[in-house]
Amino acid sequence: MKITPLLSVSMAGRHPGSHDYETSMAETATPEQKRGAGGKLSNPDRLELYYYMRLARECDNAILRLYRQGKLVGGAYTGNGNEATAVGSAYALEKRDYLFPMHRDLGAHLVKGQTARNIFLQHLARGNSLTHGRDGTGHYADPSLRIYGNVSHLGAMIPMAVGVALALAMRKEGAVVMNYIGDGGSSVGEFHEGLNMAAVMQLPFILIIENNQFAYSTPTRRQFAAQKLSERASGYGIPGVTIDGTNVSLVFETCMKAVDRARRGEGPTLIESVTMRMHGHSASDDASYVPEGMVDEWRKKDPIDRLEKILLSDHVLTPQSKKKIEEGIKAEVDDAVAFATESPYPPGEDAGKGVYAP
Amino acid sequence: MPALTYIDAISRGMWEEMERDPSVFLIGEDIGAYGGAFKATKGFLEHFGAERVIDSVLSEAAIIGAATGAAVAGMRPIAEMQFADFVTCAFNQIVTNASKIYYRWRIPVPMVIRLPSGGYIHGGPYHSASTEAWFAHVPGLKIVAPSTPSDAKGLIKSAVRDNNPVMFFEFKYLYRRVKGEVPEGDLTVPIGKGDVKREGGDVTIITYGSTVHFSLEAAEKVSRENGIETKVVDLRTLLPLDRDLIIDSVRATGKVLIVHEDTLTGGVGGEVAALIAEHAFQDLDAPVKRLGALDAPVPFAPTLEAAHLPDTERIVHALRELIRY
Amino acid sequence: MARIEVIMPQMGESITEGTIVRWLKKVGDTVGKDETLLEISTDKVDSEIPSPAAGILAEILTPENGTVPVRTVIATIETGGAGAAHEPRSGPPEAPSRESAPVPAASHAPLPGAPSPAGGRFYSPLVLSIARTEGIPLTELESLPGTGEAGRLTKKDLLAHVAARKSGGSPSPAPAGATVKAVPGPVTLQPADVPALRAKYPTPGHEILQMSNVMQKMAQHMVQSVQTSPHVAAVHEVDMSAVVKHREAHAEEFEKKEGFKLTFTPYIAEAVVKAIKKYPLVNSSVEGDKIIRKNFVNLGLAVASDGGLIVPVVKHAEEKSFTGLARAVNDLASRTRMKKLLPDDIQGGTFTISNYGVFGTLVGIPIINQPQVAILGTGAIRKRPVVIDDAIAIRWIAYLTLSFDHRIVDGALGGMFLEEIVQNLQRRDRETKI
Repeated sequence: MKITPLLSVSMAGRHPGSHDYETSMAETATPEQKRGAGGKLSNPDRLELYYYMRLARECDNAILRLYRQGKLVGGAYTGNGNEATAVGSAYALEKRDYLFPMHRDLGAHLVKGQTARNIFLQHLARGNSLTHGRDGTGHYADPSLRIYGNVSHLGAMIPMAVGVALALAMRKEGAVVMNYIGDGGSSVGEFHEGLNMAAVMQLPFILIIENNQFAYSTPTRRQFAAQKLSERASGYGIPGVTIDGTNVSLVFETCMKAVDRARRGEGPTLIESVTMRMHGHSASDDASYVPEGMVDEWRKKDPIDRLEKILLSDHVLTPQSKKKIEEGIKAEVDDAVAFATESPYPPGEDAGKGVYAP
Repeated sequence: MPALTYIDAISRGMWEEMERDPSVFLIGEDIGAYGGAFKATKGFLEHFGAERVIDSVLSEAAIIGAATGAAVAGMRPIAEMQFADFVTCAFNQIVTNASKIYYRWRIPVPMVIRLPSGGYIHGGPYHSASTEAWFAHVPGLKIVAPSTPSDAKGLIKSAVRDNNPVMFFEFKYLYRRVKGEVPEGDLTVPIGKGDVKREGGDVTIITYGSTVHFSLEAAEKVSRENGIETKVVDLRTLLPLDRDLIIDSVRATGKVLIVHEDTLTGGVGGEVAALIAEHAFQDLDAPVKRLGALDAPVPFAPTLEAAHLPDTERIVHALRELIRY
Repeated sequence: MARIEVIMPQMGESITEGTIVRWLKKVGDTVGKDETLLEISTDKVDSEIPSPAAGILAEILTPENGTVPVRTVIATIETGGAGAAHEPRSGPPEAPSRESAPVPAASHAPLPGAPSPAGGRFYSPLVLSIARTEGIPLTELESLPGTGEAGRLTKKDLLAHVAARKSGGSPSPAPAGATVKAVPGPVTLQPADVPALRAKYPTPGHEILQMSNVMQKMAQHMVQSVQTSPHVAAVHEVDMSAVVKHREAHAEEFEKKEGFKLTFTPYIAEAVVKAIKKYPLVNSSVEGDKIIRKNFVNLGLAVASDGGLIVPVVKHAEEKSFTGLARAVNDLASRTRMKKLLPDDIQGGTFTISNYGVFGTLVGIPIINQPQVAILGTGAIRKRPVVIDDAIAIRWIAYLTLSFDHRIVDGALGGMFLEEIVQNLQRRDRETKI
């Protein structure tokens, strides 16, 4: 059976907001080569992970500032505490692979090549954003980077992401789909329906459950009765693993194995990455339901601090290079915020346009 | 021109599209080796292979979700709901994902959802429903509902080629009862265009699907018995509605009866009536009249089902009321 | 559980039979007390018949199109056992057939009634837009008979009128405020297929049409009247200017207060009643060599319906004030259009007024409505140059015709009576309060 490679035809140049992949990356690496070659992280890899985690956090901090200044459109949902999971997992993907992140995975967007400018344009609902102001935050898609943002009903993404994996398998592209869900999202029917289909059809699909202890205010003990969410994998006949989601190296290595397995056509993997949501559900949530001391306990395992200590002690990172990275990140974020703030809102008359594809 | 049954016309249309475009594939429950609950895909597996005729898990959400994802990735899936009733299980996938993707992302979602729809078959509350109105409220979807073999084939081909999610409602009652000439070759019927199935200058029926046939029978009866000529308009597409045809056909007679098999309240007919009130008020010589099923689930017992659904007699009755007015 | 009988009512003293036009309920349907149960047609009037009781329509004894003598039981209603008739009688349920399935009420909500009870006639948006396009004023619309439900003016009615108007077949309307609103117009006739006649009058070129019940009866009555009464006619000219001015001065206030338009009819009725008081012999009937002179005035007003000519009667007109007359006229006219006349409404007239002026007719010679002895015809009111005190003036002029039965009314009495009406109208002082 002859299959025409459709993606190159149907997606090329479609997105006016797309950016050239390479130029948007940190200068320390280009993605296609050696990211974690052989499942091992090199020192440049680790520096790059550090850079993305810090960039993600600084973007989040800037988003919170904009929110408190009344400049943000809508709510502010941060990934503070989740950086190792987001960055480490996406780091296992190649350019051809598909990312279906959730709303605390800013780091994954950045690793996959998204620019800070595009992130802030989205948060500020500008006309030149990737969704042209039609949707906010990470809810965009950027086919040039193969990033497909979430819908608010997180669980609903799973069957659709599985569908992309199906297309990839049909076309034997060797690409994989990585999809993220929260501990709360694991309770919806589509979690089961999508994952089961992926398992039955042995599709190249990796599902990461970011277990960050709370779904809005609901603690995990009121969300599921299993000891670990990864235990569910055996019910689908696929591998499942629970890992420390604050250890970026561990996250990367675990995901790399899953990606390799998927790429070999052996089917999906379920990864439960355990972290802590260090902020409230959104900037308007004081998280008063979080037991006293819990945040402080988790702060000791802050994913960025953990990596920074190791890099400093390994002399991969020096105070000088750290300062340089920090200055670079600040400049990048400041530029993105200024660029987005100065960008115009979409014209109101566009509201009813483009509901149907021509 | 060969005469085909309604269901064969759909099958033929899908077959031709799969031959034409390798990105077209089928996904659904029991559609492969078994050939589908209604045998719409009989022989497809043997010809096109298991990669393009996918026997899926029993999960409407997974089927529609997978079709949506595949469409986003550039394929052109045709997803089969075994019965239109079961689409409820995939409602979220259709409404949350498929319908909004182009608006949010400007990525086309070329997919077809086939929905064997409707009653008159003693199927009871879960195998007889008309579910089109739920989706007619969802921007981003297209909804077609052909009534003849020729339209069915032309519309399934157009649906496959459309770059949007198309809900393809097909009427189980018509599957093997209706046979008609179907033009050979690559003939499509445009989505968004209705069709005048019968001309008449006294009163207009606007309808779609199974009730097109009852409406035509009723029109013949009032012509024979009352000398009244009824124009019968088959909407064919429910979203977007063929507004021009609706308004023009109302203008032609000044009296309009809207008929559908679906329940009345919140039905597509209400939208048609509203369009008429908004755009053809000055052309009305009688209040817009609607005829649909009772506002109840489709009941099981033949007596109850017969009382529930609109039929030729009731259309005749409603026509006469309009004529008298 | 009681059974109430529904009978064919007597719609007028001379009426002996009635025809069922349509049953609005089916056997087994629930019917409320006074809810319309069926429509009948008699020689005189078409009418909707309200149910005498609440219950379930148990039997229909006379089918549609059936004709039965008055007082015949045509249906029965079962009371006190709501729902009983819905249960299957015995044995297995009927084979499922959609053709025999009951018509569900939910999807058959009745169309809203055409006319509003206030008397203002309802026009569909389409009728109004055609009228606007064709330049037909509302007053002219009011004068057109309708063939739709409850006499509604349908698109077809209006288009037929427009066609006739364009071909010069329909006269221009009378001036604003033609006396009686619902007036005769083209009656819709059904084709009749009679082979013998068809042989004699072949198509194309001939149409064979069935006379309506009302038309047949009209023919009978007119022939009988001409044979009974030696008709003499007198024509007088009346200057209606005072009436026109009075009406103009009071129309707005009157409509605001009464909720319906002030027409010329109550003015004429008032003038006639006053004249009858002076010359009561014209308010009589003849039996053998005896004259029956009436001390009350029941004033008949010729009104057209889609079925033909109907003459509802204002009872005891002599007791009514001007406003009372206006109300009675309006009530009868609107109930005629809505087919809501009661049998009593069309009985017992002692004198009749026929307004053919709405068609633009200037002078007519009406035929006496038996057993009365006189009838007044009123022509169209037109502006005319007239001589007043040797000067030419423009006045609103109409011609009144009195047809009278020369057996008891001679030319002198007829002339004096008619002149009295003329004087009553001309004296109508603008300042006179309504």
